[in-house]
Amino acid sequence: MGAGTPSASLVARVAALAVVMVFLQTGVISEVPVFGVAIDLSPLVVAFVGLQCGSVTGAATGFGIGLLVDLTLLQTLGLTSLIFTVIGYGAGRLRELRDPQAALTPLLVGAAAATASMVGYSLMEFMLGVDAPVSFELLRQIVVGVVLDTAVALPVWVLVRRWLEPTLPDDPRRRRRRAYTTGGLSPLSRT
Amino acid sequence: MYDKTVRRRRAVLVALVALSLILLTAYFGESPNGRLHAVQRDFLTVVSPIQEGANAALKPVRNMFGWFGDALHAKSQRDALRKQNARLQAELIGREDDERGYHRLLQLYHLDGGLHISDYRPVTAGVTAQAPNIWYATIDIDKGTSAGVQVNDPVIDGEGLVGKVTQAASDGAQVSLITDSSVAVSAMINSTGAPGLVLPKVGDPNTLLMQYLPANTPVSVGEYVVTSGTISSRGPSLFPRGIAIGQVSSVSEEAPYKTVEMHPLANLHGLETVQVLTATQGSAPARTSSVAAALPLGQSSEPGGGSGESQLASTGSGG
Repeated sequence: MGAGTPSASLVARVAALAVVMVFLQTGVISEVPVFGVAIDLSPLVVAFVGLQCGSVTGAATGFGIGLLVDLTLLQTLGLTSLIFTVIGYGAGRLRELRDPQAALTPLLVGAAAATASMVGYSLMEFMLGVDAPVSFELLRQIVVGVVLDTAVALPVWVLVRRWLEPTLPDDPRRRRRRAYTTGGLSPLSRT
Repeated sequence: MYDKTVRRRRAVLVALVALSLILLTAYFGESPNGRLHAVQRDFLTVVSPIQEGANAALKPVRNMFGWFGDALHAKSQRDALRKQNARLQAELIGREDDERGYHRLLQLYHLDGGLHISDYRPVTAGVTAQAPNIWYATIDIDKGTSAGVQVNDPVIDGEGLVGKVTQAASDGAQVSLITDSSVAVSAMINSTGAPGLVLPKVGDPNTLLMQYLPANTPVSVGEYVVTSGTISSRGPSLFPRGIAIGQVSSVSEEAPYKTVEMHPLANLHGLETVQVLTATQGSAPARTSSVAAALPLGQSSEPGGGSGESQLASTGSGG
């Protein structure tokens, strides 16, 4: 297995996560609108897989989940894949470049993923030529959607992290942090 | 080593984006009978039973969330419904007498041959999936061509018009809701018969627009909008007349036409069961439609006359 190549168990867990998430989203969550908008877990899960596993796994997961959504809902094939690939890759690059550890990171990443997803859809739909009047209500829907997705970002992050963590390769940076916070590298622990 | 990782990462991104764009271009360019559409339909046939099972298993969860939402709106809905009930009771009393007279006249002139929903061979289907984003107002249902469901069949529920079938596989189908940007429905104001075209208000899944109403048409808030039935020279359409679509919520004057906003009567977010009207060629509705479509312009049997034919025929995606 080369460096950065995801293990078989990680691939299996990500695939299971994607399938369960898509069925849960299309079968339950989409049918329960809040303030007229349905919460969309898909961009959150894609972004959090990227944030947890890196850009390559994030992009591949985004493509896979996007394809699954488009196939399940008989939508324009490739549209969701394109948007989610970019989201997964972006979140993965954030982890690789900055490795943010702040408690609010999942919240901000979730908000960014939801915004990218909704704005991306809107732009693509306009480019593909939606033949209908567009209202200012669209902006409200996007804002409400982003707020709702951000509100559920933390619990989704916790679930995704717990599900994937056992299969992730041990990251030296994470080990260092763990050691420090538990006292392993603290000067006090050496006395 | 670092260079190799960077190259690999970039290659994966470029490959996935390119693949998405190829899929997008090919899908957008091909006809609904094309290869990618067929793959989607086959996929739907495979996952439809799984979705059905998952839906049944997750129904308690959905009901629980739905219950919270319903409880929040219950009080305001109750007050509005009480007012509506009082108004409708008064209307009902006034119309019962008219109805008796109407039926007497129908019997007298042997005219009671009108079409009913049951003539359109309704097939009851369960909803297995709903699109999550505001750009796709679609649902998947668990009945397909094996149950007689065809593309363009109208879909209703107990409250009114839901949408129409846009793709059909053997054991499942996709329904575009009336709030989807690809759907337009020929309609009329129920009280006056004034014709117009109902379109979605993109970005607002709870509102529809009725456009191209003649400027001198009297319309007031609270009136009902129903389907006017489509008659098109491009081929018989089996969209029944008189299915409730929505209730007018506001009216705006835009000379030379009037535009009204309305709320759909069907609860498009909480659909569990729908009916697909599957009347086929040779059925009574089809014969009626084809006879009407064969009439020259200006002799349409629809209220609104010939202008309705040309307008409705232009609504390729409409019903």
